[in-house]
Amino acid sequence: MIELVLQSLLNGAASGGVYALVALGYTLIFSVLGVINFAQGALFSIGGYFTYLLLGGKIGANGAFPGLALPAGLPFWLALLLAAVASGLVGLLVERLAFAPLRRSGSEPLQALITSLGAGVVLVNLLQILMGAEGYSFPEGALLMAGLPDALVIAGARIRTVQLLLLVVSVVAVVMLTIWLERSRAGKALRAVAEDPTTALYLGIDSGAMVRLAFFLSGAMAGLGGGLIGLSVSLPGPYFGIGYGLKGLAVLVLGGLGSVPGAIAGGLLMGLAEALVPPDASGWRDAMAFTILFAVLLVRPSGLLGSGPIEKV
Amino acid sequence: MATAQATPSNALCSDRLARRRRGSLRFAAVLALGLGSIAWLGRATDPATRPLAGKPITLGATIALTGNANLYGQDQRAGLTIADRWFREVGFVEPEGSAEGLSLRLQIEDGGSDEPSAIAAFNLLIREGVVALIGPTLSQQAFAADPIPQRQGVPVVAPSNTASGIPQIGHFISRVSAQSSVIAPLSIAEALRRDPSIRRVALFYAQDDAYSTAESSIFLKALKARGLTPVTVQRTQIAENDFQAPITSALRHQPQLVVMSVQAVAGGNMIRQLRELGYQGQIVVGNGLNTPNIYPICQRWCNGILIAQAYSPELDTPINRAFLRLFREFHGSQPPPQITAQAFTAYQVLAESLQRLQRKRALDSVTLGQARARLMDELLAGRYQTPLGPIHFTPDGEVVQSRFYVAEVRMDPGGRDGRFALVREQQLPEVTP
Repeated sequence: MIELVLQSLLNGAASGGVYALVALGYTLIFSVLGVINFAQGALFSIGGYFTYLLLGGKIGANGAFPGLALPAGLPFWLALLLAAVASGLVGLLVERLAFAPLRRSGSEPLQALITSLGAGVVLVNLLQILMGAEGYSFPEGALLMAGLPDALVIAGARIRTVQLLLLVVSVVAVVMLTIWLERSRAGKALRAVAEDPTTALYLGIDSGAMVRLAFFLSGAMAGLGGGLIGLSVSLPGPYFGIGYGLKGLAVLVLGGLGSVPGAIAGGLLMGLAEALVPPDASGWRDAMAFTILFAVLLVRPSGLLGSGPIEKV
Repeated sequence: MATAQATPSNALCSDRLARRRRGSLRFAAVLALGLGSIAWLGRATDPATRPLAGKPITLGATIALTGNANLYGQDQRAGLTIADRWFREVGFVEPEGSAEGLSLRLQIEDGGSDEPSAIAAFNLLIREGVVALIGPTLSQQAFAADPIPQRQGVPVVAPSNTASGIPQIGHFISRVSAQSSVIAPLSIAEALRRDPSIRRVALFYAQDDAYSTAESSIFLKALKARGLTPVTVQRTQIAENDFQAPITSALRHQPQLVVMSVQAVAGGNMIRQLRELGYQGQIVVGNGLNTPNIYPICQRWCNGILIAQAYSPELDTPINRAFLRLFREFHGSQPPPQITAQAFTAYQVLAESLQRLQRKRALDSVTLGQARARLMDELLAGRYQTPLGPIHFTPDGEVVQSRFYVAEVRMDPGGRDGRFALVREQQLPEVTP
């Protein structure tokens, strides 16, 4: 029984780490613009597919270029990093096409929700045209895992090795982003724009550049999450990121809109809550997770670490 | 007793009443005329009333090209495209616009993976005047969409609906996909033939998927018929891909056989995670995994899984050889999945029925509506040599197929590709459910 709980905790923490990555992406954009980027789920999918292609994976029979692959696959860590960067660039494109024109015309934030939703649908359908609908799994040899066992036994609990990798990478990414936001000049500038764009402007901070930076980082976080999930449970199809995007949105609300520590805590709580649902009732996993969200919001309407009016980064 | 007296106020009331009556009558007449005009105009624009002659006959297909089931839809599109090519190659079907022979064209519409999209696609194709429909991809969609062509007298051939009760929706609904109740028990029988000592069985299925729940109950029945009750039943969700918790729970019961009824990618992940978490026994999978698309997901871990099939690429008949050749021309060396063969068959039975009607000159001087009705009768009366083997239909449109297969997945040494190797061919006596 102890083994089962330990295994559930580790699996939950691994999923929670990925949820936190997605929620952090939402948080960054929400902090600087006060809007939700609904294309985040699509960027998650794109990150997974970029990682697959950079690892040397072939496009399947239903894709636009069947059999096409890079001449040689990159090492896993490099592929994951480059895929995150590429997803960040796609995030920038989303900002240019779906957000910037509306911002310039002074539109309501609600309109940006709709355009970002549209951008997400377009991206997912583009993925389907280019890659086909088939599932993809990362080439085993490219994962630097060829010599590793399929699973490790920790205190009697059998844990899949990929889950542990997923946990470690997502924790490292979240910690690095937090440190960057707290300590670096650009991170501080981003927080200043989030706090008060007008004052930030008077301080000589280019708020437009900060918005673009937020979109890039947000896309990169989603892309990293997609690559990690692809490592663990393959790429089930172009739509797979949408579910994670919605879960990240729930985590964003759970942790408190715009709160970085809230996004991390919310992600972990959501992951652990799902994992601790008894296996015999695993069909109720989502219901359980959203019940917790509902209960938390009843007690603390601003979320776990949100404070009254929206606290920004 | 009081008597009515003709007072000025009474006269005024009766005058008003009479005016109201006249007004109501006028309104009713205008309404009736309006409705009649709309009905007449509707009748005039209903393609079923137009003569069939002088136009290519259109077959409409509604398949899932987007949404969660798009993997199946893409396989079906391959089958339909190949069938279209094949029937032109052998001369059954003349190129579009040809003056002689059967002039047939195929129109494919995306039916999405949900009920409203399938309904919209069916409506669109019916309005455009198709003679028959192929689809939709999922049983759940069929229950919602099939009543529409049934009401309008448009024949439907379902290429992949396996749930009970689909052809029973109505006279115009038929299918070429044998019910799970016929196929699924065969793989259980094979697993028990290999290891008669099996007593501990674990069953996994997606509880929010109509196909999975229906097939899992068939698996349960097949197990019970052999005196086996699962030691654990794990319910998952259709969109789930991380099964570590239910697998760990199931493995505590030390199963000797795992039976799973889930969709393709989820199944591939489940197999992989089962093996990674230490399960070494036999695995029997349902129809959802009847596609080579699982190979890249479960890779080397796919090796040895058992599956019952309504189609085997190893069937050595002229039509299957032609089907294989065309499939390989388009898709390389990989053998076609069952769902592609079934889509091919759906097109084939309709094209052959139309061809027979054409030869009998039964399509001359008829309206589209009459052609649809004749096509349905001809379809049900025919016998067909298909890639699935010989088939025909019961009067209510259920496919009658006698040849089924049990296959085992054998992966190549690299673990990236494999094949469904034929283990056993089952000749069942004229199986009708």
